[in-house]
Amino acid sequence: MADVALQGRAISVAEKVDRAKVLQRLRLGDAGFRILTRSSAILVLIILGGIIVSLVHGAWPALHTFGFNFLVNESWNPVTENFGAIAPIYGTVVTSLIAMLIAVPVGLFIALFLTELCPMWLRRPIGIAIELLAGIPSIIYGIWGLFVFAPFLQEYVQPFMITTLGSVPGIGGLFAGPPYGIGVLTAGLILAIMVLPFITSISRDVFEAVPPVLKEAAYGLGCTTWEVARYVVLPFTRVGVIGGVMLGLGRALGETMAVTFVIGNAHRISGSILAPGTTISATIANEFTEAVGDLYTSSLIALGLILFVITFIVLACARLMLMRLNARLGK
Amino acid sequence: MTDMTLPTSQTNTPLYRSRQRRNAMTMTLAYAATAFGLTWLVLILAVLLYEGFNGLSLAVFTEMTPPPGAAGGLLNPIMGSLVMTIIAVAIGTPLGMLAGTYMAEYGRYDKLSSVVRFINDILLSAPSIVIGLFVYEIMVAQMGHFSGWAGAVALAVIVVPVVVRTTEDMLTLVPDTLREAAASIGLPRSLMIVKVAYRAARAGMITGVLLAVARISGETAPLLFTALNNQFWSTDLNAPVSSLPVVIFQFALSPYKDWQKLAWTGALIITLTVLTLSIIARALASQRKSS
Amino acid sequence: MNSVASFTVPTVTHAQASADGLAEKVSVRNLDFYYGDNRALKDINVALYKGHVTAFIGPSGCGKSTLLRILNRMYDLYPNQRATGDVLLDGENILEPNQDINLLRAKVGMVFQKPTPFPMTIFENIAFGIRLYEKLPKSELEGRVQHALQRAALWNEVKDKLGANGLSLSGGQQQRLCIARTVAVRPEVILFDEPCSALDPISTAKIEELIDELKDDYTIAIVTHNMQQAARVSDFTAFMYLGELIEYGETTKIFTTPNDRRTQDYITGRFG
Repeated sequence: MADVALQGRAISVAEKVDRAKVLQRLRLGDAGFRILTRSSAILVLIILGGIIVSLVHGAWPALHTFGFNFLVNESWNPVTENFGAIAPIYGTVVTSLIAMLIAVPVGLFIALFLTELCPMWLRRPIGIAIELLAGIPSIIYGIWGLFVFAPFLQEYVQPFMITTLGSVPGIGGLFAGPPYGIGVLTAGLILAIMVLPFITSISRDVFEAVPPVLKEAAYGLGCTTWEVARYVVLPFTRVGVIGGVMLGLGRALGETMAVTFVIGNAHRISGSILAPGTTISATIANEFTEAVGDLYTSSLIALGLILFVITFIVLACARLMLMRLNARLGK
Repeated sequence: MTDMTLPTSQTNTPLYRSRQRRNAMTMTLAYAATAFGLTWLVLILAVLLYEGFNGLSLAVFTEMTPPPGAAGGLLNPIMGSLVMTIIAVAIGTPLGMLAGTYMAEYGRYDKLSSVVRFINDILLSAPSIVIGLFVYEIMVAQMGHFSGWAGAVALAVIVVPVVVRTTEDMLTLVPDTLREAAASIGLPRSLMIVKVAYRAARAGMITGVLLAVARISGETAPLLFTALNNQFWSTDLNAPVSSLPVVIFQFALSPYKDWQKLAWTGALIITLTVLTLSIIARALASQRKSS
Repeated sequence: MNSVASFTVPTVTHAQASADGLAEKVSVRNLDFYYGDNRALKDINVALYKGHVTAFIGPSGCGKSTLLRILNRMYDLYPNQRATGDVLLDGENILEPNQDINLLRAKVGMVFQKPTPFPMTIFENIAFGIRLYEKLPKSELEGRVQHALQRAALWNEVKDKLGANGLSLSGGQQQRLCIARTVAVRPEVILFDEPCSALDPISTAKIEELIDELKDDYTIAIVTHNMQQAARVSDFTAFMYLGELIEYGETTKIFTTPNDRRTQDYITGRFG
């Protein structure tokens, strides 16, 4: 009982001094911790800087040798050491374009389904299924594409395409040629399936952020679900959707494994999307370890630099758009 | 009260009917799109499970990768992947956590944090093959040879942005009143962060690490020219190390049936690992929400 | 002229006044406070007396919480907030830049509007603060924790579940846990920032009882938007309006015969 009374008393001066000492010691650790965390943050910037510097450094021999011609040269000849990036760039752009043309509308419609039509109990399972699709590593898409999808396309779909779409005047040239199975179109389709869950989940998140009062006001006027989606939800979320689409594009541009298996690895630009081609990442993946000679290696690194620049621009634009959306939502 | 429905003069107009038609069409498209998306998931998983389980046996986990035409397993690539993943997480997680801590705590309002946040988000989606080239330039070219260390560093560079993002997000969710409560008993900033904020955000940060591991488990491109590949059992990290994704890449593109079979099995192992980690991460996240 | 913060030493008529009069524990002189360029507090002059409870009342946005948070320099956690003037704690100005802020906060404890137990066990919540400053053997630590919980009138309710998570308690219990946590660090002043506004009436009554017991050992300031609570709990009351201290004096006087028209209007419910 005496010690309980003792504990209630005010602190003596001696104890006050001790506390000051303890806090003094702790403060040194405080300053140290702050420096440690700040340095780590700066390190992130250094990593990015390092990537740019090392790529430029590695690509320099090739860029110096070929100059601007590198970007438009179609030849890729390790023997004569004549390298040009146009074929891989073309392949990268076209496969990504095909992927986005399919994934964006489908993704938006799935997001519409999930937010407006889907019964409550089904929402979580389907949401999880979409995330499962997103979580499958790209190499699985690659081997599935090689062993299942490409043969299927070759056997059933491509012959059909060649005879029907191939004879349409104007765009017929796009669908000409023997059905290889693998090729630019196949790679684009695989990419579409890969990017789809990404677009879907970002779209669904921004759709869900629409204030219910806005939608209720439109429904209250007698609008159909489609009209609410088209005239209320989409305009409100436009910036977010575009940001999400550009993020998906950034991913598609840089994707390696899913594409490498099914693109065919032919260094040329053909008129038909059924023909084989190559992308920047596929070229690097296939050839880097066997590249002999400094110019060859340097040309591959130059390809990597080009890819990094393209994706950097796309991703930076996406981030800026999403930042604007967040500002609008008052975050 | 008389019947409250719209008079037929309003519902029977061509405009109303065309609106209804358009709505029905687009709603059907929405259903179709969902079915389309789900079909691919089912197709891919079904084939993966079928082919993968076909080749699954105890030998897969106990024997080395075989030369073509012989029987064998995936022991060395599994080990290689495991070791490099652990090292990558050991390097990338502390770095990412400290950076995220700065952005959420000390530097919450300053310019450095906004710049780092922007750059980090770009790194998050950067092509992983470029990361491989970067580590090639700074490690493999400098050291003169491929190595498991280079592979681990390449994976670590992928881990860092994921952990930075989740750490910052989770710490920002910790309410300021909790920080003020810690400050009000005289706690210095660093202790407030480590002993209170970290503890409050613990589940979220662990989730972030699990997501990072799931992400790097399937990464092939960064390993292609850093760790390269190794047919044999090796414990030397200073030399090429085999990894599951790279072995799958090599075996699947080969013309040998045995190798292709092993590739499918390897793919199944990776997918199951990734899915398990995602499920655990999700379970942790919902546990946090309910507390 | 009815205005201004007149700062006079109130004449004490209660029996519990000590023989040598009232001692000023905290003196606030000419205090201004800025959020960025916005002057939120204007020339505040007020005192907190040792062993007594001072209440701060006023309509929303009058600056009473802002003033409270200056007394333990809580505003230091945020950029763009600064204070000018003097705030003396036992004669020392706490606004000086070379002040040991953490030591100040150990001396001046705070209980917040929303109960915020640390994400730890009940025992750890209390022990955490104690361990920060002292290395105690286990038995002594347990004794200190028990004492703190007893002073917060929580011991009997939690003594069998000290290992349970602090967040598993009810709202009123959580708030008493926060009071115990503050008391465990042995401060000299305790600031209560609307401590009962998130609680039910029974918990509120318990906490008001607690404040009455605690004032024997501590100097207490309480911000409240509940005038009846201020009248019940405090010895002195300060009425604030739009960043100014309008009137300050003994609680009985403020609530029966206030000097200023605005005080009277607020107390009779004319506004706020």
